[in-house]
Amino acid sequence: MDVKRTLFLVEVAIFASFAIVLDLIPFLSFKIWPQGGSVSLAMIPIFLVAFRWGTKGGLLAGLLYGLLQLIIEPHIRHWLQAILEYGVAFAGLGLAGLFAKQARKAISAENSRAFIRNVIMGVLLGCSVRYLAHILAGVVFFKEYAPEGIPVWWYSITYNGTYMLPSFIICTVAVWLLFSRQPRLIKI
Amino acid sequence: MNKLILGRFFPGESILHQMDPRAKLLAGVYFILVLFVANNWQSYGLLWIFTLVVMYLSGVKFSVYIRGVRPLIWLILFTVTLQILFTSGGKIYLDVGPITVSNFGIISGIYIFCRFVMIIFISTVVTLTTKPIDLTDGINALLKPLKRLKIPVDEISLMLSISLRFIPNLLDETQKVMDAQRARGTEFGEGNLLRQMKTLVPIFLPLFASSLNRAEDMANGMETRGYQSGEKRSTFRQLAWKRKDTLCIGTMIILTFGLIVLRTGGFIH
Repeated sequence: MDVKRTLFLVEVAIFASFAIVLDLIPFLSFKIWPQGGSVSLAMIPIFLVAFRWGTKGGLLAGLLYGLLQLIIEPHIRHWLQAILEYGVAFAGLGLAGLFAKQARKAISAENSRAFIRNVIMGVLLGCSVRYLAHILAGVVFFKEYAPEGIPVWWYSITYNGTYMLPSFIICTVAVWLLFSRQPRLIKI
Repeated sequence: MNKLILGRFFPGESILHQMDPRAKLLAGVYFILVLFVANNWQSYGLLWIFTLVVMYLSGVKFSVYIRGVRPLIWLILFTVTLQILFTSGGKIYLDVGPITVSNFGIISGIYIFCRFVMIIFISTVVTLTTKPIDLTDGINALLKPLKRLKIPVDEISLMLSISLRFIPNLLDETQKVMDAQRARGTEFGEGNLLRQMKTLVPIFLPLFASSLNRAEDMANGMETRGYQSGEKRSTFRQLAWKRKDTLCIGTMIILTFGLIVLRTGGFIH
């Protein structure tokens, strides 16, 4: 059991740095907005950990990824925004792990339909939580800075949606492709 | 790829470089909070003096700081423009439909601009003068109280340092795999989305597989050297709280008093 625990710590850490690496390599991500909110592939390793180790692994990997970003290149505008965008948003991705057990079962039963369903549900849940955190952060930020009468909610929902939707699609396809080509990856 | 500097640490010997990461982190976070106390030109002036002195003390060229602002400049200008166009009150210079340019709007636009830039400058000072690994130690020390809530602070910071240590290796490896695939004729970033995604699979799979192997080796290595999760660990680098650090905290307290005295409306707005 203890050996597994150390392995768990190291693996989660290495996958979090993987996420950062995917952010750093220009070829592998395309940015659509001048500031933040890139459609990058960084979420993929986080989802892989979530499906391998379950919710706990996913949450930890997400949190680590957020902390690493904060150390490497912080974009802080407001303290609450920082907590939401670097803490809650990425840790929230890990909730995909709630579907890990079913996904693993489906893959050993070679039931690809159930497997895809669980992957989509997991990635959707993770992305939704992240989306929600970004929306809230946007509102917090604009409540502080935008004058009265600007529809902050609407603005935040559309702005964040422009990159979250493509990210969701990309991640779902990638996670599904990777695990179906190499089912070994999901088993610990 | 070697040109890529991880983090923004700038080697130096300044007083800020020598300070304890805990003090810098605390002061940085506190500054971002206390910034919101300022509400008139006198208090903003005091904040600017503080920020500029700190930047000067870091011994890093001013242009490096300006580079930190650049990626955010559109967001800043957008927010400032919104503020100027949609705030009314005071002397009105222009009034077309919902758009009003008033002196209230212009003043709050300027304040918001200052707030933005100062937050960026101060957080840049912290990352420029502190090695990522020291930041990790500092974060670990500051998060210690969370242990009472059963949050595994030690393990998180251990993972943080493992991650930081592996980023350069993984970057190298990713480059190698990408080059290998290029040599086989793969073109990245071409074709429709699905095709682009498919070119990623032959990059991702070997990388994931080798990461998993690496993790296993490392975990075994740690186990054989006696690592036990949850046990108390000693560290090679010890953080030492010096007089400079107390001085830094003292300066923050003085800054707070200065702001409270200078702001309009006194302590309670």
